[in-house]
Amino acid sequence: MSGRRFPLWTLLAVVLVVALVIGSGVLSSPPPTASQRAASIESVLRCPSCEDLSVADSSAPTAVTVRATVRQLVAQGETDQQIETYLAGRYGSSIELDPPASGLSLLVWLLPLLVGAVVVAAFVAVMLRRRAATDADPTGAEADRALDRAALDQRKRFLAQSLSDADAEYLAGDLSDKDYLALRRRDAARLAAVEARIGDLGRTAVGGAVITDDGPPPSPVDDSELPDVPPASRGTGGAADRPARRTRGRRSGWFLVAAVTAFAGALILAVSLFASDRLPGQTATGSVTLSQSQRLQESLAEAATEEDDGNLAQAADLYQSVLDSHPDNEVALAQLGWLEFETGQKGDDASLISAGQAKLNHAVRLDPGDYAVRLYLGTVLLQLDHDAIGAVGEYRQFLADGPPSSLLLQAAPELRQAYQEAGLAVPAEVPAD
Amino acid sequence: MSAGTEVAGPLPDVEPSAPADPPRRGHTARWAALGALVIGAGLIAVLATRPPAAVTEVQNPLVGRPAPPVSGTTLDGARYTLPRAPGRYTVVNFFAAWCEPCQTEGPDLVQFQFEHQRTGDASMLSVVFDDTEGEARTYQATIGATWPTLVDPSGDLALSFGVRAPPTTFVIAPDGRVVASIIAPVTAADLDKVIAEAKASRP
Repeated sequence: MSGRRFPLWTLLAVVLVVALVIGSGVLSSPPPTASQRAASIESVLRCPSCEDLSVADSSAPTAVTVRATVRQLVAQGETDQQIETYLAGRYGSSIELDPPASGLSLLVWLLPLLVGAVVVAAFVAVMLRRRAATDADPTGAEADRALDRAALDQRKRFLAQSLSDADAEYLAGDLSDKDYLALRRRDAARLAAVEARIGDLGRTAVGGAVITDDGPPPSPVDDSELPDVPPASRGTGGAADRPARRTRGRRSGWFLVAAVTAFAGALILAVSLFASDRLPGQTATGSVTLSQSQRLQESLAEAATEEDDGNLAQAADLYQSVLDSHPDNEVALAQLGWLEFETGQKGDDASLISAGQAKLNHAVRLDPGDYAVRLYLGTVLLQLDHDAIGAVGEYRQFLADGPPSSLLLQAAPELRQAYQEAGLAVPAEVPAD
Repeated sequence: MSAGTEVAGPLPDVEPSAPADPPRRGHTARWAALGALVIGAGLIAVLATRPPAAVTEVQNPLVGRPAPPVSGTTLDGARYTLPRAPGRYTVVNFFAAWCEPCQTEGPDLVQFQFEHQRTGDASMLSVVFDDTEGEARTYQATIGATWPTLVDPSGDLALSFGVRAPPTTFVIAPDGRVVASIIAPVTAADLDKVIAEAKASRP
């Protein structure tokens, strides 16, 4: 028993430690960006005027101010600790969601550890006591004696019956060779074990009057014994079969170890493959969707800035990276489609133009009401297909979505051109020259 | 199977004997119970003798320390900066027009300002907390506040004082240290008492 338990528990401990190390992200966390740092600090600060929310989760004016301050201090290169100290110097230590690890609040941190330690200690004590009992009583006779004699007898009768039933069925042709052998092997082994216990019981109780029965060892059952050998006595006595039983026990123990290892390994692999990146300060990857959408928004904003600054290649790369992870991101599709169309127009690159058009068409299917896509599609129709009427159709939907005035101003020349070429009156909301 | 069954043979009935270590269990439970009792009693004793949470919560970390810089734009659009050492007691009151407790303390603040204008030992300064300029201006005009009122649209001033909600009032000593923070509607008498105590401790 002890020989089997030891590696199993050790292995479980190793698996646990490995899983925790992987889960904690110690091995694979890249240095956090400024906004990740700010986000992690904000998530541990309490909103000053709403008490039960973190600053990150609250939209109260005080929380907004704290967020702005945190971001400013992060930008100034202050450490997390400095920022928290600064805020605690104003709002008091209750600004931190975690209770301070000092004074009476220390109890909040220590008690769970204490309780955990007591539970572990109790468990270890129980295991040790059990092991000591086994070691003091290696044959297990002491423990077996506690078993009810009547129960053992009943079990023995049941197994004997089961064996003779199997023989009868086999002889009647109801059982295949394979099934019969398997059944026989199993039940014979069980019967032998029960008889061994009864034998032990009798021997100790009688005071050394060992009952023997020099039958063959109970297993394995040879094929040669079959088929006409009538169900022979498989009974054995005393400790004769104990070594066999223990070997079997050890072997199944190793099977268990292998199974647990394989399962744990698969689990770790699955977790590390499917878990999202952890933000610094995040203790788990629970809020996956939030952090992913945050990063997505950041990438899109960054791309838009690059685009505004005229760094079209960088902007295209950023949009492409968004599309790599989110192929159905409408904004990235529309923007990259437009970039490709514009670049294709300039370089007279037909394949780039059609790639851009395909993206724009994809984007408009995803969000038919988006003004940006409608504007782009209209301009494509106007400039590429010289289809003023079609362009006006798109531009109408562009105007219907309430585009920002800056975009309206930017697009005004194309809009006017399309309406005039189509012979229509330019709508009032299009700014005049 | 017949031989197998005989194996059991002439066995005397065995009493399934109980394991032989019963007395220790009772002691363990007794000691565990005693330990839990002692820990529980200790906790109750410590918690019962501590000051109630309400008192410690209100303790602003700024009290006793130099006040944060106070400067900004007033409702009239003028720049205002409170000197590092104002040279007299300054009552800084964070308020909002929508806040009902602020409305109860308004007349007292006006009275306080009126009384100390003559002696010149203390003056008022208000800061708008989470309210629009228009609302704040109307409110100050209604209660008759004539002292400078700073707007704080970013909330930075409120943050530097650790203000969580209006009304919050700070008393700054002539040397620039914060001597009191009050998170409740104040009366003129409260403020006079705070100033008298501060004067008594540092003449």
